[in-house]
Amino acid sequence: MRITDRRFALYLMTPAALFLAVFVAYPLFRLVADSFFRISPVLGGPRDFVGLDNYVRAFASEAFMGAGWRTLAYTLVVVTLEFALGLGMALLFTTLGRKSQVWRTAFLYPLMIAPIVAGLLWKFLMIDNFGLIGTLLHQAGILSDPNQIGWLSNPDIVLFSVAIPDIWLTTSFMCLVLFAGLQNIPGDLIEAARLDGARAPAMLFRIILPLLRPVIAVALVVRGIDAARAFDTILIQTNGGPQSASETMSLLIYRTMIRFGDPGLASAMGTIYLLAMLGIAFFAVATIWRPGKDS
Amino acid sequence: MRVAEKIKHDGGMPAAVPAQPSAEASVPAGMRRRRAVNREGLEAGKRSTRTILWILLAASLVLYGFPFLYLLLTSFKPPIDTIAVPPTILPKEWTLVNYVNALGRSGVVASIINSTQTAIISTLLSLLLAVPAAYGITRYKTASGRVFIMAALVTRMVPPVAIGIPLASMMASAGLADTPIALSIAHTTISLPLSIWLMASFFEAVPQDLEEAATVDGCSRLGALWRVVIPVVSGGIAVTAIFAFLASWNEFLFALLMTAIRSQTTPVVIANFQTQFGLDWGSMTALAAVYSIPVILLTLLLQRKIVAGMTLGAVKG
Repeated sequence: MRITDRRFALYLMTPAALFLAVFVAYPLFRLVADSFFRISPVLGGPRDFVGLDNYVRAFASEAFMGAGWRTLAYTLVVVTLEFALGLGMALLFTTLGRKSQVWRTAFLYPLMIAPIVAGLLWKFLMIDNFGLIGTLLHQAGILSDPNQIGWLSNPDIVLFSVAIPDIWLTTSFMCLVLFAGLQNIPGDLIEAARLDGARAPAMLFRIILPLLRPVIAVALVVRGIDAARAFDTILIQTNGGPQSASETMSLLIYRTMIRFGDPGLASAMGTIYLLAMLGIAFFAVATIWRPGKDS
Repeated sequence: MRVAEKIKHDGGMPAAVPAQPSAEASVPAGMRRRRAVNREGLEAGKRSTRTILWILLAASLVLYGFPFLYLLLTSFKPPIDTIAVPPTILPKEWTLVNYVNALGRSGVVASIINSTQTAIISTLLSLLLAVPAAYGITRYKTASGRVFIMAALVTRMVPPVAIGIPLASMMASAGLADTPIALSIAHTTISLPLSIWLMASFFEAVPQDLEEAATVDGCSRLGALWRVVIPVVSGGIAVTAIFAFLASWNEFLFALLMTAIRSQTTPVVIANFQTQFGLDWGSMTALAAVYSIPVILLTLLLQRKIVAGMTLGAVKG
């Protein structure tokens, strides 16, 4: 009575699959289902089927469209800066070789810090009046007044300020992944390019980056998804303010659901948000990675 | 003396990196990662260049390390000095009063216990589900396995804010509202896909002959997994456990949505400090330090393994 290998494999996967079905797929199904109803926030309150009305309301609302663009801008800023800084650090560690290993480890420490703590910490550095950054820039003679920039109070720049803790937290991850990718570039390829007289920029753009493409694709997509879901760091720094200038999609959905008590509308927003993320992620994988075109 | 020195020299050099044909032959999956690595390829040669690079590195590390250091320094200032204008970097007077205040506040110690409990339950749950699943996926390359690992990756994209509320109401109807169990289940939805992905990479590196030998010796497939394969990947299991633990320990949004008083974790308490007690920066920084330092130390101790785990999935592509 020996079961087949195929069935044995299925049995091994079943518990995890059931778990994900019950605790991820089913809540998702509830989310999508809720998006077609107008729901009273009171427990057991009325629940009326309204068709696509919530979607119409979502797209018609300025808050939703604004949050969509802000989330996109936030994600692009975070991922671009992280990638540039992470690649820079990875190249630095690679060119310095083994002797920099200890420092490479030290560079990892923010990865262990809770986003909520990171947000708090940077808020403390950037806050008006007793924030250290403004004071230091003032003392260095760069700013005429320590509060001149208003990192977290100026609606024009707050979206970029709230991105700083996120960048600080995960540049290490980028660096680590790109560093590992750099170690896999065959040394003779670099030697050959060097003998051909390739200079540093050519080496970087013609050889290193193309060879790293799969690694870069994975790193960008993983981090892009995380950045698009950012919640903790922004909530603790500005709670989406001032004047909603740092309100990204996660915050808006949270607020619509909890504060404004409109689960139906929040569910519609959540559904659109999830679909958009899936679409962009697949598009990103397909364009950056370009599997099959490399070799 | 000279010979010893040479051996030491060789051992410490790039030679420590791969290029052992025997290892490559037995671990085909490792080949892509290990082939013809030459650390010297990109290393800077000129002394002047290296000096500039070192200075650059030192500067970035100082900048990168400073924020947390400032948090630590602030936590030792007297409460009133934490909001002094202009702020100072070093405390004028060193004190532990913020730590006493923070830990003395009602619910703070309980929240640390809750965080620990939740993280441990979630880690165990995650391993219990991920280890067999990852083994099933990598060892028996079935179509269902491929579908499953893709589905697990897609779950990574689900924003917690989207499933948090339905999940909370499910837990409430199961009578689990505001318990560490409910929160650890929610945290497992985050760590499980990652754990499956990581464990799959570790199983991939185990030579298949190992179980074949075991089954020839009369082991059942489950027995071979338990007695032969699991011990071999124990290092990988440890890495996965650390990641699952960190994911739960640092998580905030589910904790915010799903806990009230009984099962509140420390990240929520830290966030609440802001509204409940006005601007008590001293206590906030002290609690943040207490919460972060153990995991930073733990991970620095185990850094080698963690680095391996973090890069595995991404580099394999």
